[in-house]
Amino acid sequence: MAPVPSPVELDEPSSDQSIAADRPWIVLVWNDPINLMSYVTFVFQKLFGYSLEKATTLMLDVHHKGRAVVSSGAREKAEIDVFRLHEHGLWATMQQDT
Amino acid sequence: MARRRKPRSPVQRVQGGFVLHLELEERELITRLLGEVRDLLMGPADQPLLRRMFPPAYHLADDGEAEAEYQRLMHDDLLASRLSAINGVTQVLVAPDAVLDDDALVGFMQAVNSLRLALGTLLDVGEDDDFTDLDDDDPLVGEHHLYGYLSFLLDSAVGAMSGR
Repeated sequence: MAPVPSPVELDEPSSDQSIAADRPWIVLVWNDPINLMSYVTFVFQKLFGYSLEKATTLMLDVHHKGRAVVSSGAREKAEIDVFRLHEHGLWATMQQDT
Repeated sequence: MARRRKPRSPVQRVQGGFVLHLELEERELITRLLGEVRDLLMGPADQPLLRRMFPPAYHLADDGEAEAEYQRLMHDDLLASRLSAINGVTQVLVAPDAVLDDDALVGFMQAVNSLRLALGTLLDVGEDDDFTDLDDDDPLVGEHHLYGYLSFLLDSAVGAMSGR
């Protein structure tokens, strides 16, 4: 059993930033009427190394549900993923996971 | 029964890469369009036709500061990437026998898609648009046909790359 800790005076965090910083960032791709389904599937495979099956499932999620989470991780990685998706002309954005 | 002959794909895999089977007129047309998009990209950043080429990265209202910072750091990189893809394709198009490696074909896809993004924005393309019943009197009928042609070209490149 863990010993009962003696009370220690701790500084209250001024905000929940330290907790928020741990939450991963997610990269979303949004449905749009211009990008081709075949091309979107190809881009998911190329950028993320997904199988044809997984890339197709994600593409169909984008198409039918309006958006899909295509990757997640640290903020810097999410920014790189968004940039590469933009290079290919996809409508991608990022947000911190809730 | 007559079987419609399948048109030859304009992008084909060959030993060591890919080749573009395009007529001279097609090469000239694509080169001219790429030049127009290049001029557009070199102009003011707030032109409506560029909207689809430079989406926001942070979409939540709370992340406005992060978005401004992201655009400050990354906008020029994205612009440079688009121009680089266009310049690469322009060089390939003057050499009919050029063999494209994977990176060059991806650059081709990106450049053709930039054209589609600009044209699609101009035409205000919708999700279920069907271009088979175009009205010949439509002042943009030529642009609609171009858009369809560029979609065919891009899909052909994806097919060649995917071994489809």
